Amino acid sequence: MDKKQDVWQGTLALMALKTLEAMGPLHGYGIARRIEQISGDRLMLNYGTLYPALLKLEQEGYIAAEWGVSENHRKAKFYKLTRAGHAQLRKETRQWEAAADIIARFFAPEDSL
Amino acid sequence: MSGVLKGRTRGFLIRLAGLFRKGRQERELAEEFESHFRMHVEENLRRAMSASEAQREARLKFGGIDSAKERMREGSTIMTLETTWQDLRYAIRGMRGNPGFAVTAILSMALGIGASVAIFTLADNLLLRPLPYGEPGQLTMVWEVNPHHKGSNGTNRNVVSPANYLDWKAQNTVFESIAVFGDGRAAFADGARVEELEEQYMSADLLPMLGVRPWRGRLFTAAEDLPNAPDVVLISYRLWQSWFGGDDGVVGRKVQLRSRPATIIGVMPPGFYFRNRNTDLWETEGLDPARDYRKTAGRFLMSVARLKHGVTRDQAQTQMTAIARRLETDYPRFDTNWTVNVESLRESLVSEVKTSMLVLLGAVGLLLAVACANVANLLLARYTSRRREMAVRVAIGAGRGRVVRQLITESVTLGLAGGVLGVLLARWAVMGLLALAPVDLSRNISVAVDYRIVLFAVAVSVLTGVIFGLAPSFVAVRADLTRGLREDSRGSVGGSGHLRAGLVAAEVALCVMLLAGAGLLFRSLIGLQSVDPGLNPSRVLTFSVLIPGERYREPVQRTQFFSRALEQIENLPGVELASAVSFLPFNGMSAGTDLAIAGRPPAKPGEELVATIRTVMPGYFRTMEIPLKRGRVFTAADNTLDSPYRFVVNQEFARKYMAGEEPVGQQISVAMDSKNPLGEIIGVVGNVKEGALDQEPAPTVYYIHAHLIYTGMVFVVRAKNDPLSLADPVRRVIHGIDPAQPVAQIRTMDSIVRETFARQRFSALLLGGFSLVSLLLAAVGIYGVLAYSVTERTREIGVRVALGAEPGRILGLVLGSGMRTVLAGAVAGMGGALALTGLLKSLLFGVKAHDAATFAAAPVVLIAVALLAAYLPARRAARLAPVDALRTD
Repeated sequence: MDKKQDVWQGTLALMALKTLEAMGPLHGYGIARRIEQISGDRLMLNYGTLYPALLKLEQEGYIAAEWGVSENHRKAKFYKLTRAGHAQLRKETRQWEAAADIIARFFAPEDSL
Repeated sequence: MSGVLKGRTRGFLIRLAGLFRKGRQERELAEEFESHFRMHVEENLRRAMSASEAQREARLKFGGIDSAKERMREGSTIMTLETTWQDLRYAIRGMRGNPGFAVTAILSMALGIGASVAIFTLADNLLLRPLPYGEPGQLTMVWEVNPHHKGSNGTNRNVVSPANYLDWKAQNTVFESIAVFGDGRAAFADGARVEELEEQYMSADLLPMLGVRPWRGRLFTAAEDLPNAPDVVLISYRLWQSWFGGDDGVVGRKVQLRSRPATIIGVMPPGFYFRNRNTDLWETEGLDPARDYRKTAGRFLMSVARLKHGVTRDQAQTQMTAIARRLETDYPRFDTNWTVNVESLRESLVSEVKTSMLVLLGAVGLLLAVACANVANLLLARYTSRRREMAVRVAIGAGRGRVVRQLITESVTLGLAGGVLGVLLARWAVMGLLALAPVDLSRNISVAVDYRIVLFAVAVSVLTGVIFGLAPSFVAVRADLTRGLREDSRGSVGGSGHLRAGLVAAEVALCVMLLAGAGLLFRSLIGLQSVDPGLNPSRVLTFSVLIPGERYREPVQRTQFFSRALEQIENLPGVELASAVSFLPFNGMSAGTDLAIAGRPPAKPGEELVATIRTVMPGYFRTMEIPLKRGRVFTAADNTLDSPYRFVVNQEFARKYMAGEEPVGQQISVAMDSKNPLGEIIGVVGNVKEGALDQEPAPTVYYIHAHLIYTGMVFVVRAKNDPLSLADPVRRVIHGIDPAQPVAQIRTMDSIVRETFARQRFSALLLGGFSLVSLLLAAVGIYGVLAYSVTERTREIGVRVALGAEPGRILGLVLGSGMRTVLAGAVAGMGGALALTGLLKSLLFGVKAHDAATFAAAPVVLIAVALLAAYLPARRAARLAPVDALRTD
């Protein structure tokens, strides 16, 4: 079993928002699987940390939850982005890009500094 | 932005809604996890895993469902309430599981809180609560003051002359109004029934000054406050209910007051009182503005005044001093050396008991501190034994905040339980205290433990709970939890051990302070009880009979009434001797006046010879067993109107006014009546203490009744056995002579003498009780600390024993470690006691505030108790079998 990366709590929320934007309404398991797939199975997602993150997003009003039926005809809770969620995602994407850009500069070849 | 705000509001609403739908949310959470888990398992199955492997993998991925749930719960506010309820149930379950701990802790708290609530109730009533009158801060008492007179209350404050009062009233500009009043007793009858009741006579402006309105009827008019106005009376709500059954027709009812017709004009509101809660009747004083009171009367009224708005007590004092100085110049014979003191009404009510109250408040504070230290100690001990449990809780996913919260919930639960029990205890305690309390305290106080007091108790208990729940929590959070898991009963005591030893030392110190204070007060009490009062109070029954002057107009009738009554009482079975006196010693007021000795120049104004005056029936000195020192006492032959004036004096009179001369045979004249012929001193009797046992006897002159006739006399009857068994027979004798004659204030002389040191006894008993309780608590604390340290050191002790340590050495080891803490505490306590007992000075009698014997005894008692408490765990340690000790893990 090769070593996989843990996900930080802060980025997990961003990933969940982005997933919901891309996929539309989705249940918790779907979100988790999608994140793992996108990472090319390089991320190891502890499901135990996913739900508190989802609850927090719901309480902040960025996502809304609704009971529905999954593709396998199983009752599941579906999450979708709210308008505030869209705005928050845009804001966080900008912040993330800015932060990533700064970090990237540190690791760029020396002469470009 | 607005979206975010809306989102926030929504989130809050969700949480709020969750509060009411707690169960549903929990269910949904479980369902969601369940469906997630199923989906995962299904996918694993699709990937050709075996069923058990699919499940195992899914469970692993979840990383502990409980921990996840717990974190979700932590995340929402609604959970706080939920977890608090959980903690509470857990705390209660924990207490049931360990009843010894819970009972000790709750009792400690209950004792501490009960005692403080009880004392606080008294203090609140006396010192804090506003007096029940309109703008009470403006009310003052106005006293006359003479530096040469020292009253039985230990101050120079004196009652007031009507003449001086009338002049003050005319000349002052600082008071809105100034009134006079006095307390007395009067026979009250409605034709069917007669009873002697406590009354207050007052000038008509007093009740309006207090801002009181009548419950029924009206107050006095100015015209009713004149010398020959028809008698009108206000009655108390209590009397209205008990005597008249709350009948509205009572206003205008004709009654008999002192055998004279009087009209009830009103009922006072429930609970109304002025300086005496037992007053049932109010009458007008009826001062005559035209009469020269300086010629015909002394000082006998009390005065109360209301300051004008914007006038301070000091300004009033300044002006009143100036007025008094003018009166001194105008009336040198009457007013030389007399000045005025303006005292706030509250101060005048509490000054006597203030010191006791403050001392008791301090003592109860110390007791509460001991109780809290004890509870903290118990909690720490309990935590030490639960370290492993805490570590497990953290390991399976409890946040540290959650653990702290749980510990605090536990201690607050204990605090509240203790508080509830404490309030119940306090209710009983207040009633008990009032039964013990000196009269001047109890007649000014109500027993209600009201909501503010309960609030105080709750605040105290929650506060102590939080503070002492925090102490172990800090230790809990600081402690390395993995170590807590790994280590077992051998675990080091570490910080908590030092903290607990410190707490025990503090308990010991506080306890020594209380013991020292209680010791001093008890020594005073014993000192007071061994003071020779100058008479023998045992087996003496006393009761007062006030015959109506209207019915017994002739002086000879009055003396005859008492002679006849005494003759019949002496013939009752069980009676040894009987007599009567105008004012009982030790029972508040007495008469006093100037006198002259024949053959000496008249005294200069302000330097008069003053004596206490008593009028007695024959046989008084033999009945009271007051020893005759010289000459003879009165006989029945002296008790006639036409006998020559003769006096008996006490030794103090002879010492002070007739030093070096033979007093018997000297002629004196006593200014008691309108004509005061010279009379011969026929005898000298022993001193009787006046007012209180800790005060010096006053020079006293005794009259025989026929020459100074009082209509109110106090009978003294020496019984062969139990004096109270004579109460009914003597009442029958009096009623046999006059069926309409009430008999009042039936008491034993013993109880009257005891009442004089009630204040000291009260403080001594309470402080004694507090120190016993604190001693008990400290013993529990010492026992607890040592018992735990023995448990923790079992292995070490086992090794020592295995290496050949004698049981005696082990005993010494454990005792020694306990005693170091106790000694440190005792030394600190001695220091504290030396600093604080000075405050007791005014309550002490015959013992210094830094009495060496008491200060030696207090720590000795404490150390003895501590040794006892330490002995049990030490013995257990000494008896450990090394094999068992080494095996404990």
